[in-house]
Amino acid sequence: MTRRAEAGLIIAASLLAATGVAMVEFTKGNWLDAQVTITFLTFLGAFGGLQIAVRRWAPGASSLLLPTAAFLTSLGFIEIYRLDPELAATQRWSLLITAGVGAAILWALSGPGVGVLRQYRYVILAIAVALLLLPLLPDSWPIHGATINGSRLWVRIDIPGTLRTPSFQPGELAKVLIVVFLASYLSENAEAMSVVNRKIGPFKFPEPRHLGPVMIAAASAFVVLIYQKDLGASLLLFGIFIGMLYIATGRSFYVVAGGATAIAAGFVAFRIFDHVQRRIEAWLDPFAHFQDAGYQTIQGLFAIGSGSLTGSGIGLGRPDLIPAAGTDFIFAAIAEEMGFAGSIAVLAGFALLVGAAFGIAIRSRDRFRKYLAGGLAIVVALQAFIILGGVLRVLPITGIALPFMSYGGSSLLANMVIIVLLLEISHEERV
Amino acid sequence: MPALFFNVIKLLFLALLFLFLFQVVRALRSHTGSNPGTRVSGAPAELIVLTGNANVDRVKLRPQGHVIGRSSDADIHIDDPYSSEFHARVGLQDSAVLVHDLGSTNGTYVNGRRVTTPTTVSKGDTVQIGKTILEVR
Repeated sequence: MTRRAEAGLIIAASLLAATGVAMVEFTKGNWLDAQVTITFLTFLGAFGGLQIAVRRWAPGASSLLLPTAAFLTSLGFIEIYRLDPELAATQRWSLLITAGVGAAILWALSGPGVGVLRQYRYVILAIAVALLLLPLLPDSWPIHGATINGSRLWVRIDIPGTLRTPSFQPGELAKVLIVVFLASYLSENAEAMSVVNRKIGPFKFPEPRHLGPVMIAAASAFVVLIYQKDLGASLLLFGIFIGMLYIATGRSFYVVAGGATAIAAGFVAFRIFDHVQRRIEAWLDPFAHFQDAGYQTIQGLFAIGSGSLTGSGIGLGRPDLIPAAGTDFIFAAIAEEMGFAGSIAVLAGFALLVGAAFGIAIRSRDRFRKYLAGGLAIVVALQAFIILGGVLRVLPITGIALPFMSYGGSSLLANMVIIVLLLEISHEERV
Repeated sequence: MPALFFNVIKLLFLALLFLFLFQVVRALRSHTGSNPGTRVSGAPAELIVLTGNANVDRVKLRPQGHVIGRSSDADIHIDDPYSSEFHARVGLQDSAVLVHDLGSTNGTYVNGRRVTTPTTVSKGDTVQIGKTILEVR
């Protein structure tokens, strides 16, 4: 794709967002609203600005990523706007800031290249762990953790003298940093880990000392699960570890061992944690738990079902009945108002994005970049799979954000950083 | 009447979504076999070693060509047990790039297909010799 075609598609995605906003306003009886123009300009500013940054600092980058990300963001944005125009206004600011950060990262990496991250792997790991533990800060501190919807994932900053308390989810960025660390670690140690020749009975095992990382993976995911009561994040972390180990070693042993550990850990969690148990029961039989744990899932299913083939039309359904429709359940809201057709478009968007990311990984020449691009592809794919699976009742529901689509600045920022890193890797591979 | 109007708008919007995706996929399709990055245009100029160990990473194509092989006398000397001593020659002829297999044991592959006669390759095509993969750019 040429840069011109890419720019055309970015304009088209901005127009899509504006059209959606216009349709929402139209169902309220307004012909045209200033919001339509503001939305168009915001999207154009954010993604167009990023593209200009790409042209300047990473001219060889793949041109598939930005239009697809813009497409997904605009579909999510339409639904957020439809649910709550005020949230949408916040999301617009997040988008602009996020794009600015993305452009800054492109600029910073244009000199040393993405390989510079490789040298600071333990610094990066330390930052990631600190970010993961940040929500555990006591409530009395000016920067403190906060529990929202039963999960302690948030950090709130009290600014003295004002009532404004900006909050963010540090875990979102932590998982990107963990991927960078793993890519760097595995690019040096994968060869030793791919030797699987210890025989115990009919099974083959790698050397015990190479199993350390798998154990660390299980342990860290379990710590997040226990202290922050967050199923989705622990599943995601664990999936990243296992997926990257598999990419780096090519040994199915790690997938099998990881899967077995995950099932064992899940079983233990089911036994000792009430909230896990409630979720699993609500997953297996949501209608028996209509009043409490299954309510959200059922409202989501009703929404998806009533959406039928082409949906109710934007602004004409009742996605506001679904709890957390703008964040975790945004896919159900889209399925209701844009129907099966719109849902398939969303899935196709994710498939394209993840496929493009794996393509970049395959074409990269050195191991670090290969594993990094592959790991980033896994992060996007797993996040989408975990939350879409939860909404569609393929998996128990675990609240994590749908990349690019859910309301929330931290998630948008983390996913934009992923796109920017992929752009940079694809650029370096071409020069 | 308004209901019909809303329905038409709804369907038009969905059509736009798929038109967008179609455009992305079409752009993707025009690249299969090469990088999905910016379009490669202009005449082919270089041969790049994508995977494998060679004495050079990239060479500028020239009319007299480069001989690729395991021998240290080859222009592009690759350390690949599946390569013959003098395996293939890649050269420029009237702004077209020609690949000659020099009677190698394991064959020369252009975009995954074995070639026995001199074959023209263009920008973005890959040439595989043993386990070594080169790309024309």
